[in-house]
Amino acid sequence: MKRMIAVFLALVMVFSMFALAACDTENPNPNPNENTETQPGNEPSEEPSENPSEEPGNEPETPAEDGVFNGVAGKDYSDEASYTFLDFIGGTTGLNWNPHSWETSDDSYVLGYISTALYDFVLNEDLSGYTIIPEAAADLPVDVTADYVGQYGIKEGESAKAWKIALNPLVTWSDGTKINAETYVYSMKQLLDPLAINRRADSFYSGEFEIVNAKAYFYNGKVSYSLAGDAAASALENDNLYLDLGFWGIVGAPDAEGNPAPQYVKVTDETLYRDEAVAEGEAEDWVSAKYLYDNYLAAGAPYESYAADYLYISQSLAPVTWDEVGIKALDEYTLLLVTANPIAEPAFYVPYNLSSPWLVKQDLYESCQTWYDADGNVVEPNAENAVSITNTYCTTVDNSVSFGPYDLTYYELDKQLTFTRNENWYGYSDGKHVGQYQTDKISCQVISEHKTALQAFLNGEVDSIGLDSTDLETYASSDRLIYEPQSYTTKISFNTNKEKLEAIGNNAVILTVKEFRQAFSLAIDREKFCAEYTAAHEPGYGLLNYMYCYNPFTGELYRDSEYAKKAIVDLYDIEYGDGKAYGDLDEAYDSITGYDPAKATELMNVAAQKATEDGLWDGSSDIILDFRVYSSDEIYVKMFNFFNDSIKAVCVGTPFEGKVSLQMTEDPDYYNTMYSGNATIIFTTWGGASMSPFTLLYQCYCDAADGSGNQMEVGFETEKVSVTINVSGQSITASLQDWAHWCNGDAVDAIDSKVGKFADHTYPERCEVFATLENTYLESFVTAPIYYRNTAALLTRKLEYATQDYIQIVGYGGLRYATYNYNDDEWASVKSGISY
Amino acid sequence: MVKYTIKRILLMIFTLFVIMTMCFVLIKLLPLPAVKEMGKDINIILMKREQMGYGKPISVQYALFLKNVLTKWDWGVGEQMYETLSVWNVLMQKLPYTIIVNLYSILIAIPIGLAFGIYAALKKNKWQDHVISTAVMLFISVPSYVYAFLVQYFLCFKAGLFPITIPSSETTALFSFKMFISMMPAIMSLGFGVVAGLARYTRAELSEVLTGDYMLLARTKGLTKAQATARHAMRNAMVVILPMIIGEFIGIISGSLIIEKIFAIPGVGSLYISSINLRDYNFFMALTFFYTFIGLFSGIVMDISYGFIDPRIRMGAKK
Repeated sequence: MKRMIAVFLALVMVFSMFALAACDTENPNPNPNENTETQPGNEPSEEPSENPSEEPGNEPETPAEDGVFNGVAGKDYSDEASYTFLDFIGGTTGLNWNPHSWETSDDSYVLGYISTALYDFVLNEDLSGYTIIPEAAADLPVDVTADYVGQYGIKEGESAKAWKIALNPLVTWSDGTKINAETYVYSMKQLLDPLAINRRADSFYSGEFEIVNAKAYFYNGKVSYSLAGDAAASALENDNLYLDLGFWGIVGAPDAEGNPAPQYVKVTDETLYRDEAVAEGEAEDWVSAKYLYDNYLAAGAPYESYAADYLYISQSLAPVTWDEVGIKALDEYTLLLVTANPIAEPAFYVPYNLSSPWLVKQDLYESCQTWYDADGNVVEPNAENAVSITNTYCTTVDNSVSFGPYDLTYYELDKQLTFTRNENWYGYSDGKHVGQYQTDKISCQVISEHKTALQAFLNGEVDSIGLDSTDLETYASSDRLIYEPQSYTTKISFNTNKEKLEAIGNNAVILTVKEFRQAFSLAIDREKFCAEYTAAHEPGYGLLNYMYCYNPFTGELYRDSEYAKKAIVDLYDIEYGDGKAYGDLDEAYDSITGYDPAKATELMNVAAQKATEDGLWDGSSDIILDFRVYSSDEIYVKMFNFFNDSIKAVCVGTPFEGKVSLQMTEDPDYYNTMYSGNATIIFTTWGGASMSPFTLLYQCYCDAADGSGNQMEVGFETEKVSVTINVSGQSITASLQDWAHWCNGDAVDAIDSKVGKFADHTYPERCEVFATLENTYLESFVTAPIYYRNTAALLTRKLEYATQDYIQIVGYGGLRYATYNYNDDEWASVKSGISY
Repeated sequence: MVKYTIKRILLMIFTLFVIMTMCFVLIKLLPLPAVKEMGKDINIILMKREQMGYGKPISVQYALFLKNVLTKWDWGVGEQMYETLSVWNVLMQKLPYTIIVNLYSILIAIPIGLAFGIYAALKKNKWQDHVISTAVMLFISVPSYVYAFLVQYFLCFKAGLFPITIPSSETTALFSFKMFISMMPAIMSLGFGVVAGLARYTRAELSEVLTGDYMLLARTKGLTKAQATARHAMRNAMVVILPMIIGEFIGIISGSLIIEKIFAIPGVGSLYISSINLRDYNFFMALTFFYTFIGLFSGIVMDISYGFIDPRIRMGAKK
């Protein structure tokens, strides 16, 4: 009997194998994404066939994408072995990878694996830079502005406002559901839903890529607030001027009836709010917006100069219908996007702004929604009395869906994420992703303790680990050490507001003497500082570091440009050329250390003389400069001591000898203390927007008087600094602030009327102007750059990145191009013996 | 006893309500962080706050909060942490890890601690007692996270006896032997202090009890030293020791922020402090309720337990 059953089972197995083989023959490609654009002799086409799976006879080949890195020659990317990338993220308080409300870099980490953007940046062919490729799009955007004159507010002659985007029909959700133009439109509508108030809604209504009417649809008639700026006076007259109660730290403080204070209150409002920081019965225990405005921010009041940071105007946009929003499905796979303003350099910035997906899967998204009425009761979807919607989309595996190269297959809160290949992702079979995605699985732990993560790395359980300064002492010479630059520059910022410094006392007013500040800067041995007190940072001399790219088409870096180098060389008065110490600009630039104690001492002598003559210092009393730091941790104490010793050393032999010292004060809110002019010296760090270097000067260094208050160099009035620059053969004089505005893309009549818009000029011209402004700012010595931030990491011996040179936007190529030296089985047997 | 217990429970509910009310009002009185985020439309956050009811009077907010909790057991969703997730679900999801690690720890530590304490008491002022007492002082003085680092470095990283972090439930079931072994470093780190504390208490109490007159009487009645110690001395000593043990059991739900962090245990250790730091009202209130309830309830359990251990203690008896 047993033998008969065995024979029967064997027959069944044999039959099954034949049946399977037959099925394969009938349908050689069960995945509709496969075998497209692979007809012999055809170049990769952006017009895929209607039904690609019904094209038998097409032998799969892998036509390499032109201009794109196609992997390591000779490497087998499709072998049967399994390759797992072992990753970790630090401590989380939950992850939310909903493309409409994600917040942290960990959230975007998940999104990066499970989604496909319309456009992406990949390594170029020779690994020297990046190139833009359509992914979920089938082609680059086409400017169709002329076709829409009279619609969406488009006028005759305008361009770069309406964009037609052909979509890649191969892109589907991981369950095979198609993604078409309607999916994009639906997702945008959900993103901008006024009831949902999605955190990422502003991605498409603020900034340069503003979809027409998106903001009005999102606000749906609600009031919004924006900095008053120059409109403050007229707003006051119209009773539309508001005070940000964050100025006094009383947002949410109760009034007499227990109602919490809103953030913005009219400056004429006399409602009193209880300031818990003041004991009951003492002065200013109850304050109103009117009181604060009249006594502190109004013209002539002590904090008048900070009015620009805390005075707002309200506005409400007329509500619009969804049909008026600038996004439409032209046909099943063609999308129309209309922007409110023309996009400058659209060939780069349109794809760049469409490199983050906003897609959601309709049925799943709606199943995750909960609708509420005004009393917090759950109501039916789309109920008339609904006032808010919450959504749990993309917070668990069950309510998550992929349309990217990997699928999230396991997620345990605060413990583990596992991604496996999304076999339905078109990129594995479209022939355009040759030499990519060798990784089969990504196993990501949550490890918040650095020492634990380091031990896990050394044990082969994690494939990459960021290092701190202590680790670097051990692994500085490791051949697996990689550095990743960040866009941040850390500086010392000085308060130069004479009135404020006099109020602070201790002769802090000495900081108004430029030579003193310059001497301070030259007293710092930046190389030594970076080596001893930082993990991987490098000495910094400019406001912008090596991350800033001024020509997005070529990837050229601002800091490497001739103009930017000259700005720094001029700052340090280094001469070059025939008969000089340095033969050329590069040589002169490379010689800079920012450390010149002899010159610093000379400048201290000059400063002492000036200070005495101007009555700023009596020549004998102590000068104690308050240096505010975030905390009194050991590292801050060491840094402080370094600066204190440095400044004292260069005062030796000058009238300041034994008189000048720094005093460390712990102040977790030191940025705001400096904003208010009550700090003397602080550490400041600005960065970000590395693809838009020319906006940074305005946004971070010149906006105290009319912006969002990011300028830390209190007392430096950029509107009063005159700068003359030769632009296109014309010599133009304007204030530093106006120039910064101009570089930010804002309208500045005084400059526009002569040479037009900033964006109208070539990249080298823009670079030259900006470098002049950077030099002007630095020449004032209101700030002294100390270091450019980098991170250092150890990379496992299990895998290799595609390039060893860090490239803007694409880094080292990422997991997309990573190749493995060991498969999982091999790694398991060797990992314990690996050293770094 | 029943009447006393009911009275205590009613009092507990009243106390819980008062504490919850105070916490709600006080946390809401704290000023909200002003909205200033570079590059973001700050109005989104303001509108979200408005939508969450932050603009309503505190009394109205509290009434809505109580209504949701009492009628639907709805503690709301995370606002600043674990956004959009049910607060109660997050707590319940993370609690098992904390409970199981701590439970293993005290289940192992209690017998060891008691044994050391009894042995030290019986060998009072002999070299064995000195060795145990010195070790106890050492283990009580050193914080548990120091053991944790040492255990992790030497036993996990160097010797490879245990994994550096505990595995996830994807590969290892929570209630499995493999998970138990993986948790051993954390269990040890948490257990050293408990062993030392219990040993010290037990030794001190037992030493005193062993010198009592009734112990002499027990011996003269013919009981052996072991019988007298087990039946009489230990029972009396437990009046003091048992509340400590119950306290340890209650402590298992609070978790250890640092131990959990070191061994990558996704427990509740950091939840409370995070909810305060991030000003997440819903999490703060749910956790305040949870811990307050457990604290108050354990107080009742402890008080009642005295009566079982020592029949001379009568609960709620009138004079």
